[in-house]
Amino acid sequence: MERILEQIPRFFSGPNMTLLLEAAGLTLAMTLTGCLIGFGLAFVLVYLRQTPGMWALPLRWICITYVEVFRRIPFIVVIYLVLFFIQAVTPDASLFTIAVIAICLYAVAYTADIIRGGIESVPITQVEAAQSMNLSRLQTNIRIILPQAWPVIAPPAIAFAVSFIKDTALVSQVGVFELTFRGKELNNQGYSGLLVFGTIALCYFLLSFPLSILGQYLEKRLATPRGERRSRKIRHP
Amino acid sequence: MNYGFQFGVVWDNIPELLEGAWLTLQLGCFAFAGGSLIGLLFATIKTYGAWPLRFLVDCYVIFITNTPALIQIYFLYFGLPEVGIRWSNEACLLIGLTMNAGAYLTLILRAGFLSVRVTEIEASQTLGMSLIQQVRYIILPHIAKSIYPALANFFIVVLVMGTSVGALIGVDELTGQAINLSTVNYRWLEYFTVVAGMYVVLTFIASIGLALLGRWAFRVKARIF
Repeated sequence: MERILEQIPRFFSGPNMTLLLEAAGLTLAMTLTGCLIGFGLAFVLVYLRQTPGMWALPLRWICITYVEVFRRIPFIVVIYLVLFFIQAVTPDASLFTIAVIAICLYAVAYTADIIRGGIESVPITQVEAAQSMNLSRLQTNIRIILPQAWPVIAPPAIAFAVSFIKDTALVSQVGVFELTFRGKELNNQGYSGLLVFGTIALCYFLLSFPLSILGQYLEKRLATPRGERRSRKIRHP
Repeated sequence: MNYGFQFGVVWDNIPELLEGAWLTLQLGCFAFAGGSLIGLLFATIKTYGAWPLRFLVDCYVIFITNTPALIQIYFLYFGLPEVGIRWSNEACLLIGLTMNAGAYLTLILRAGFLSVRVTEIEASQTLGMSLIQQVRYIILPHIAKSIYPALANFFIVVLVMGTSVGALIGVDELTGQAINLSTVNYRWLEYFTVVAGMYVVLTFIASIGLALLGRWAFRVKARIF
């Protein structure tokens, strides 16, 4: 215990703190880039998955299989697969790129279901009306469905991105200089594990908590009155 | 890309990987069971407890759900030996995962508690049931049905995302075995492809088992995928 107390002033010195601040920035940048690209690709995936017609059956199957398979593989296995695959193709890809690709692959699978749920929440009469006005499938999606679907899509998508900040801790394993990696490094330098990992946990908390509050606020703002009435609460005795 | 895939070495080591898969399944089940107990206790406290207790539970849930499971486990694994508590790798992983799952399950079960209708609670109060009896006979059967899909989904998350963290603190579960074996002969891509396939099969078995359990015990029509 005395050892920890004695280390505190040395641990919270300037260089260490800038190191952690940079690492936190990298964590955030990685998550944000990966999730944004993943979100865009998920839209494409859902669009392909809903292609009508017999000839597109294999396409639909591929999309469904992709989502189902990636939801069932641990993130760390995806990271290792991407790392060794990318390095076999182009040996000089940066680790940050590899991390972003892994996050992106994972985010596609998870957000595709969120987007599909949002799109399916739009009443079918809207789509039929659009078809009767001779809008193409792409036009129907962009002009009719998405404007109505995004209040349903946005809150869980933001919640997913926020929760993914925590999952990116696993990326430390391939050597991206993010929070967990720096934590292990500081621990190896001889700082107490309780102190180091307590601080790192606090850093993640400070990144994730305000964003999750923002997500909840958005959810309340965007919720339809119909959704609010849904459940009656237990009265507290 | 000039990389020759050689799956031969992997097939030779399938028994080791299967051992890892068995450990993964065990760890997942124990962590989920322990987490459910914590979740049930805390969700009951959050619904009925006095405010200091509710506040403590809130703090626990908010802190655990906003920090990575990996850091929590590192905290137990690297931090606790300094104050004289030494647990084995498996114990660290299991305790960390149970605490982590407990926080998320508190949220899920709490949502279930809120979905029980007031009239049913009132009816049970009229019959003179105690709080424990209410939870046991009225609320639990109810929420078992309404939150079953969320629970089944979360079990898969614990089984896959949760236990794989153990590989980083030296637990020989499926991912850990893959790392151990592939450091011997550098066939990373092959090992991890096979392991990914094994995870998919494992979770499908778990999903089917859960769907059957749900149908048998709670009459839920669960979807497998």
